[in-house]
Amino acid sequence: MAEPCILLIEDNADDAFLASRIIRKIRAEKIVVVRDGEEATDLLLSMAEDGSCQLITLVFLDLKLPKMNGLDVLQAIRNNPKLQALPVLVLTSSDNDADQERCRGLGVIDYLFKPMTVDRLERALDKLKS
Amino acid sequence: MAGDMEEATAKGWNTGPLSYDISGATLLYVEDEADARNMVSRMLAMNYPKLKIFAAENGAVGLDLYREHTPDIVVTDINMPVMDGIRMSREIKSTNPEACIIAVTAHSDTSYLLNAIEIGVHHYVLKPINYEELFAVIDKILEQIVLKRLVGEVNQRIVESQMQLAMAQRIAHLGSWQWDLSDGSMNWSDEMYRICGFEPGAFEVTYQSFLDRFLEQDRETVKTAIKESIENRQPVGAVFCRIERSDGCQRILRLEAEVLLDGTGIPSLMIGTSHDVTELKEAEERIRLLTDELERRVIQRTSLLQASLRELESFSYVVSHDLRAPVARIEGFCQALLEECGDCPNPGCRQYAERTERVVKQIKHIIDAFNNLSHYARCRLVIEDVDLSLVAGGIAATFSQSEPERRVEFSIAPGLVVRGDRRLLQIALEHLLGNAWKFTSKKESSRIEFGRHDQEEGMVFFIRDNGAGFNMKYVDKLFKPFQTIHSPGEYTWDGTAIGLATVHSIILRHGGRIWAEGEVDRGATFYFTLEPNPEGGSFIEDPPTG
Repeated sequence: MAEPCILLIEDNADDAFLASRIIRKIRAEKIVVVRDGEEATDLLLSMAEDGSCQLITLVFLDLKLPKMNGLDVLQAIRNNPKLQALPVLVLTSSDNDADQERCRGLGVIDYLFKPMTVDRLERALDKLKS
Repeated sequence: MAGDMEEATAKGWNTGPLSYDISGATLLYVEDEADARNMVSRMLAMNYPKLKIFAAENGAVGLDLYREHTPDIVVTDINMPVMDGIRMSREIKSTNPEACIIAVTAHSDTSYLLNAIEIGVHHYVLKPINYEELFAVIDKILEQIVLKRLVGEVNQRIVESQMQLAMAQRIAHLGSWQWDLSDGSMNWSDEMYRICGFEPGAFEVTYQSFLDRFLEQDRETVKTAIKESIENRQPVGAVFCRIERSDGCQRILRLEAEVLLDGTGIPSLMIGTSHDVTELKEAEERIRLLTDELERRVIQRTSLLQASLRELESFSYVVSHDLRAPVARIEGFCQALLEECGDCPNPGCRQYAERTERVVKQIKHIIDAFNNLSHYARCRLVIEDVDLSLVAGGIAATFSQSEPERRVEFSIAPGLVVRGDRRLLQIALEHLLGNAWKFTSKKESSRIEFGRHDQEEGMVFFIRDNGAGFNMKYVDKLFKPFQTIHSPGEYTWDGTAIGLATVHSIILRHGGRIWAEGEVDRGATFYFTLEPNPEGGSFIEDPPTG
């Protein structure tokens, strides 16, 4: 994994397909899909270890994930000094206000409702630039 | 004669009113000499203005008058025609040995006098009458009469209050007793015997026989309470203990007593009451059992309620999370279809994708509505005073501003203050007044009324309009979510129809009831009640996080 990549943490294949489809319209990086929270955390921590985490340009994070939920993954990212600056976008179909608040508290770029659109993604990424 | 009277007054016989009340007392004066009779009668009337005086000219007339009026005092001459004073006195004494007779005699009547004494004439006054002497005798007799009367009255009162006390004790099942500490003797009231299952006065009571009445396990308590009371010179305060009657049945008594001290401060007498409170205690026990049962039931129902609320909670979680995800997926694929197959030569492709997208919006709408609705059953209530009139007024003003061209007359009764959750009640009124506003939109001039009836079951609030109304056969559908009774296109519709279901839920949370009456084209009236002080908070202590 020597090229820049986007990490898409999503357990549902259809959702992964739909998200990738939109991301690809405006981003050129390779998209790496991880299917559960534990796997995602292990991968991120090992990438932090060997420094390859520098290659991750963006993380899309679903909240409802098998084994370990998205909020815990986010917490793990923020707890690691090498990962804590990672730009994370939450992508969810839940409208739970408490979840949204916690995510924002943990410094996510944006909280996007499924299905994502190009417009919404562009606006979110604009926030990252500013 | 006139001279005599002047002399009498001058001599000061009439030394002012008697110190006792003689009203009602009567005196019979019998004298054959008319002058003397008139004179003495007048003197008597003057000296005793309150004494009723009868006068007779001989013994026979006197006897008739005596039989008719039974006077308290008889003053009689001895020597008279027709019937003399002695014979008359004898007749009077034979019917009333208690009769009080004063004989007026001349010295020459000495032989008669002995007869008079034998008959039982109490007093005699010598002729010519010395008024001072006569009045002194009458005063003395009157004093005795008044005293006797007084004693009689007091006796009567004592008898009456004794009867009253006995009656009261009997009615109240309250027995009383006295214990003479010097000789150990005891005295029980009639009811005390009855409470213990005996005929009044059935046996001579002692302190020991008193103690023997109590159940063995309670006897020591009674003994100790009484002992301590005497030692500390403090009353025995409400000791509950059981006795066993002669027939074996047990009764519960409430015992109270006071210690009386003699002149030197030594306890000499104990006076107590024993109240049979068996029925009272049994009722108390029944109430306690009922209360326990009720509490158990409340706990059971509350946990049932909590369980179903939890189910609702997790169900709404499923709806809002698990259902939203596949819906979002469909929406995503619709977008993909529209973007990638929008130019497909088959026009159906685009149209179907667009229609599917609309269906997805509808599903999302229903999910939102469902979540809103279930929220009212679960959310935390903050109870405070809410002026519904003010709330309704604000809502009415907003509607009027939103469509200023409409002519709607709002009539809102002032001061309808209730206890409730301001936010939820506002939402309920918004829906009710919103419906009234919507369904009067086709009327030339509309009228919307918010008021209150005070009825037996409490206060009933109502919102009445003169709009489209509804057919009463659909009344059961009104408060169900996702149901409408108006045809599509008749009135604006958001496609979910949860307004009245929401109101229903809010009213239920406030312990109230809601119902409606309507008539097609004549308008609708919605009635609701609210619990005077609804319970705040939520039945779910810690809502699960999603």
